[in-house]
Amino acid sequence: MRTKFFFPLLAHVLASIAVAPLLWILISALKPAEDVFSFGWPSAWTLENLRYVLFKIPLPMFLMNSAIVSVVVTVVALFFHSMAAYALARLRFPGRGIIFSGIMSTLLVSLPVILVPLFLVAKQLNLLDSYAGLIVPSIFHAFGIFLLRQYYLNIPRELEEAADLDGCGYWRRYWSVILPLSRPVLASLSVLFFLANWNAFLWPLTITRNPDLRVIQLGISGMQGQYASAWNLILAAAVIAAIPTVVVFVAGQKRLVDAMKTTGLK
Amino acid sequence: MSATPLFSQPVSRRSVLRGGLGALAASAVAGPLLTACGGDAGGGGDGKEMSFWNFYGPSDDQGPQSKWFVDLAEKWNANNEVKVKLRYIPGKDYLNGTTLQTAFQSGEGPDIFLISPGDFLRYYNGGVLQDLSSALPDESKADYLPGLLEARSVDGKVYGLPMEIEPLALYYSETAFEKAGLSEADLPKTWDQTLAVAEKLTGKDRYGVMFETLPGYYQNFTWYPFLWQGDGAVIKDGKVAFDSPAAVQALKFWQDTIKNKVAPRKALGDGGGDVVSNLGSGAAAMQQSGIWAVADMQAKAKNFKYGIIPHPTPSGGKPATDLGGWAFVANAKGKNPEAAAKFIAWALGSTDAEGVERQRQWNTVVKTNVPPRKSVQKAADAKGTFESGVLKKFVTEIAPTGQPEPRFPPEVYQPVADAIQACQLNAADPAKAAADAAAKIDTFLKTYQGAPIS
Amino acid sequence: MTKKRREALAAYAFLAPDVLGLLAFVAVPMVLAFGVAFFKVDGFGNYQYVGLANYQLMGSDDQLWSSLKITAIYVVTFVPIAFVISFALAMLVRNHFRGIGWVRSAFFLPHVVSLVVVALIWQFLLVDKRGAISRLLSPLGLGDVSFLGTPSLALGTYVVISVWFVMGYQMLVLLAGLKDVPKELEDAAQIDGASTWQRFRYVIWPLMRPTSFFVVVNSTIGAVTGLQAFDLVFVLTKGGPARATSTVVLYIYEQAFTFNNMGYAAALTTVVVALLVACTGLMFAFTKGGRFDED
Repeated sequence: MRTKFFFPLLAHVLASIAVAPLLWILISALKPAEDVFSFGWPSAWTLENLRYVLFKIPLPMFLMNSAIVSVVVTVVALFFHSMAAYALARLRFPGRGIIFSGIMSTLLVSLPVILVPLFLVAKQLNLLDSYAGLIVPSIFHAFGIFLLRQYYLNIPRELEEAADLDGCGYWRRYWSVILPLSRPVLASLSVLFFLANWNAFLWPLTITRNPDLRVIQLGISGMQGQYASAWNLILAAAVIAAIPTVVVFVAGQKRLVDAMKTTGLK
Repeated sequence: MSATPLFSQPVSRRSVLRGGLGALAASAVAGPLLTACGGDAGGGGDGKEMSFWNFYGPSDDQGPQSKWFVDLAEKWNANNEVKVKLRYIPGKDYLNGTTLQTAFQSGEGPDIFLISPGDFLRYYNGGVLQDLSSALPDESKADYLPGLLEARSVDGKVYGLPMEIEPLALYYSETAFEKAGLSEADLPKTWDQTLAVAEKLTGKDRYGVMFETLPGYYQNFTWYPFLWQGDGAVIKDGKVAFDSPAAVQALKFWQDTIKNKVAPRKALGDGGGDVVSNLGSGAAAMQQSGIWAVADMQAKAKNFKYGIIPHPTPSGGKPATDLGGWAFVANAKGKNPEAAAKFIAWALGSTDAEGVERQRQWNTVVKTNVPPRKSVQKAADAKGTFESGVLKKFVTEIAPTGQPEPRFPPEVYQPVADAIQACQLNAADPAKAAADAAAKIDTFLKTYQGAPIS
Repeated sequence: MTKKRREALAAYAFLAPDVLGLLAFVAVPMVLAFGVAFFKVDGFGNYQYVGLANYQLMGSDDQLWSSLKITAIYVVTFVPIAFVISFALAMLVRNHFRGIGWVRSAFFLPHVVSLVVVALIWQFLLVDKRGAISRLLSPLGLGDVSFLGTPSLALGTYVVISVWFVMGYQMLVLLAGLKDVPKELEDAAQIDGASTWQRFRYVIWPLMRPTSFFVVVNSTIGAVTGLQAFDLVFVLTKGGPARATSTVVLYIYEQAFTFNNMGYAAALTTVVVALLVACTGLMFAFTKGGRFDED
């Protein structure tokens, strides 16, 4: 069977093409400044670019800010979303259909569209120029609620009913039955959420002014203005900015596929 | 002509909410929205701290330009009760980002900020520029070169103090010329020569000549000299004058550089203003850019051999350049506009020895500009700054042919920008592009009520 | 308290944080946008009620139409191309083979890197004459092509970069759907002598329709108003050259921040949202939806 070898081979070739641009950036970031446009294997390798962006530019601070924001948003958002999803999937109450459609319809509204009014709201809530401003508005998104709801719809009712017989309240049911059961889906959603928040650009750009609050994407885009001619440094910073997300992804890679499966998107 | 605000009866945000958003009032968020939004500080005020937004310092690399700003704030803060707090915004975000705009939209604008001529009318017509006249002694006013304050004034009141004059010229790489077997005698004087020489200079890795290709205020700024060389204008005596042979030939000249493949469609680094990334890297043999590039090259490509020439002219045309330059302005709706005005007058306008030296530092040491004040030019001359080399050429030969960058509102800037882009990059017919732009500007001028456009 | 009532109260309590949050940070701003659409706003806090004037302006705004056209072209090229490629990749990495982990990761990796970095990377790769792509293509005589500087090529380049960015993500979602296609069904079809294509057409495809619907709807929304319609274009081309990549979101942004026409921008926003709702509704009607309703 020729196809047995052909398709895996094809997959390997395509995968190599897909990552080639990223590898090229990695290589270029390790080249001396004057070689950055040379096409081919670098004549010499250097860590100078990485060292420069790590020690001469407050890149560590940018990374720290991004880490704080991404982690907090991820944890809080998943908690809220799973609560909401639980109610939507498992409880009966008046207005469920309307609330669910209402939540789903917010998926149509993207950030660029409501940037300025959102800024006004944030201002009224005293969220400008603070970690809270970076964090709070980023928490609420219907996507996570939807995926978790789909997941909860597929959990057998018997599990919950058993808990009910023990006289558990709804909170206990959620906390001791549903939440533990959703560990795998939460783990994989946390990968997605972390990625999304780590990569946020437009909102941080709009809401923060204090340079000490700059997140990594802002830091890099700022560098592009300041070090316009120094592609070696910009690429080095880009590489460093991508490391945490790549690590998170590689660690969560397997779960991600499982999550997609178990959310019942079929 | 009197300067009426864009809207004769400005309505506060409070009435907006009352009128348009009645439904919202019922929601929980509306309460704080109503109370806090209506209370835009309307001038006066007694703030003890003024924010100064700029794209120089304190920057991450803490270079000399950043240090100049930091020192400036420290010096002021040591002697004044109302302190200045610098806030650095990376140039890219400042020029093209949302930071400044969203802040003003929500009534949270900075007290002091930097403004380019292209943005002047937008902010003036928005009613946020503070009159600096009363803070500015007569001897300061008299010290500025003619035309500079006028470009930032309305009805004789000064609304911005320029920190520098930045003329444009054509930079060329001596190495590239040598490699192509060309000499100084081949430096182009006319547009035709430019195209011919650029062709000889174009190679596998290099373009012969480079003009800005990214749309924006900067591109328009760099294109106006070519319009002026043929005696053209965008607006003349309050009426549109763009549909002219001068505009058509200038559009066509830039188009030809791309059509002949002697100029890049996309510049490196920060674009046309970035000589280090383009001329300095060998990607372009000639590049139009401003005087600031002298300091940039000094800092980042010290050994690179280059020279400058005035913009080549069309046949029968006259020499011309555009004098750019950012200005300090104060927010009339800020926390303490009066103190902000005083700070600006002190920072840029002081005529004592210290003030002149501070200006000399900015204009000739940490950055290269043509100083906007006579006393500063004199001080720089005394140090021999303009005695030789490219700076001498800028001051004696190029700057005198210049006129200040026009202060067009976005509605005038945009049709011109579209015409330039369409001709340069999309092979549009220059005559049609000029006519289209003129028609749009004409429509706008018919209903425009703001300060005079010049 | 009856059980019914207790259940309802519990549900509202569970829903409260997210619902309030979505109200405050999505619904209220949206309503504000609808309100502002009736005003002329100058960007400095001055408002003037103008009724429907902002909507009337749209008729003669040729740049709006050109940006709508660009968005439309982008959507009808990007969405199908991304979907087909992602589906093909998902089929390719569906069954185990040596190195499958690396292959899947490789396809997803571009999505892990932020749009800001993606834009930077491609700017670097597509630098005129000396960029890696030019060097790569110069043996073909294409070393002189400026992909981001030529209006006729820029939009296509933007589509390609977008596809590169999202394909791994869509592949993963589709892969998850594929895992639920029962192996026995396929095996049975194979025994019955169905060709590869027939197995795909009559076994896999019908079962994949809801997942596909989800992917396509999401991808369409992303292409019309999502971050990739904004962040990527904003950093990559700023809508240029000569407006060739000026998407409608970018145009709205420009109206809001370059022209300070917040009112007009708000009016445009409402139109785009309405269009999006209509598009999604149509897709929903034609495909009978995925599983947005529990069955």
